[in-house]
Amino acid sequence: MGFRSIELPGVGAKYEIETENNDKIAVVFLRNGKIQLYILTKECEEPVVVDLSPSEARRIGNVLTGAIFESMEESVEIAFSALADLRILVHTYRVTEKIVGKNIEELDIRRKTGATIIAVSRKGKNFINPPPHFIFEKDDIIVVIGEQEQIKAFEKEILGV
Amino acid sequence: MEQFALAVIICAFLAIFMKKISFSPIPAYIIFGLILGKSGLNLFGEDEISKLLGEIGLIFLLFYIGLELNYENLKKEAYKITAGGFLDLFVNFILGFLSAFLLGFDLKESFVIASAFYISSSAIVIHSLIENRKLIFPEAETIIWLMVFEDIVLIFLLFFISAESGGIFSLFLKTAVFVFLVFSLVKVFSKHIDNIISREDETSLLFIFSLVIFVSFFAKSINVPEALAAISLGASMSGLNTKRIEEFSRPFKDVFIVLFFFFFGVSVEIGYISVESIAVVLLAIIGKFISGVAIGKISHNSFYSGIEIGASTVARGEFSIVLASIFGSKEVSALIAFLVLSTAIIGTITAKYSRKIIKIIKKF
Repeated sequence: MGFRSIELPGVGAKYEIETENNDKIAVVFLRNGKIQLYILTKECEEPVVVDLSPSEARRIGNVLTGAIFESMEESVEIAFSALADLRILVHTYRVTEKIVGKNIEELDIRRKTGATIIAVSRKGKNFINPPPHFIFEKDDIIVVIGEQEQIKAFEKEILGV
Repeated sequence: MEQFALAVIICAFLAIFMKKISFSPIPAYIIFGLILGKSGLNLFGEDEISKLLGEIGLIFLLFYIGLELNYENLKKEAYKITAGGFLDLFVNFILGFLSAFLLGFDLKESFVIASAFYISSSAIVIHSLIENRKLIFPEAETIIWLMVFEDIVLIFLLFFISAESGGIFSLFLKTAVFVFLVFSLVKVFSKHIDNIISREDETSLLFIFSLVIFVSFFAKSINVPEALAAISLGASMSGLNTKRIEEFSRPFKDVFIVLFFFFFGVSVEIGYISVESIAVVLLAIIGKFISGVAIGKISHNSFYSGIEIGASTVARGEFSIVLASIFGSKEVSALIAFLVLSTAIIGTITAKYSRKIIKIIKKF
């Protein structure tokens, strides 16, 4: 598998991947913010091309890396190799009966588990960094961040699963 | 003042329309300038305001080109195109020079015409590559680096043409000292410049604008070509936070360069177009195909890659106009205007249908 990236003056950054079957894929980040995705299979002379907006491109990226946030319970692990292999887990959950109607402060999440709720999605609206008095409602999706152990503790002690 | 207001609104609508049919707007500005100016209805004329605004456009265009000439980047990639770049220069410059000379232009005029004849339009060529979705092909990279090579050659062409009129030795010294000063001052104050341009208020925008204007007009006042001053200021700043500087200079470039093209059209007297100039246009198209095929053979070992390169680089544009407006006499400007308009339109078409052209050639 070949991979190469190049900065093209006046155009933008181009990333090229050649698969084991000798098909070629190129991603070009244009100056105007648009992204062109090219696929050139080896039997074809003409590539298939789509123009993507940044958010569409991110979505495709998420699908390909397996980090699909649209399903209700998913997690991604982020590893910072430059920071002594710091690993952080980001996990999404649907709230359980046990915490509906309670707020973050009375659940005492951080002290009990070490994990932190960084976002809540409620009926299509997002609350980033919810304050301590934020009360959970039925069907809320929460995003929790922490180390593996902290996330496990959060599941057990707070959600009760 | 009224004509300025009218000019901007006409150009704005032209730009919107041309984007809609995904064609480069550059020829449209010039054509409307021609229609409304001296060679057409004579509703517009050049005045101090239009000259100044056009000049600002030209300065920012060249500054912007300079920003792209990042030495580190060039060192890594651009050397691959050196042989091809020189081929492109020799074939097209010589063809342009000979045809101009045979048409009865003197040596200096022929040199200007040859330069304009040689240099393709980076704006149109790159726009076509993106628009026609060719960036996955290796030829696209060759073409892009070829455009960079031409930008570098432009610096030398600007230098030689201005030197011819000002006495080569004194100009060489003065310009060399000036460029050296610009580079060293930018280097010495790079931290300060970086600080200013990373600020979030209006000062960064104001700073870039005034720096570019000051350096260029100061150069002009001491008889150093302002075009050279602008391009070398850009090149000297290309190692800094280029994205940010581009972001700040693009609005000035985008607005003022449009007026530059429009008022160039206004000032040209196109009455001199003749059978001979049509022959020059044909040669200009053939020339790029010849150099394209040669480059295709060298860089991709393929004749058809060469046709692709040739078809993609036919369009002449902004740089040819820059050369005509700085150095061109009436006749020279008229010829270059005709050359640019024809090749810009034909070049956009050949770039779009290059694959079809290749298919047709393959049949024979």
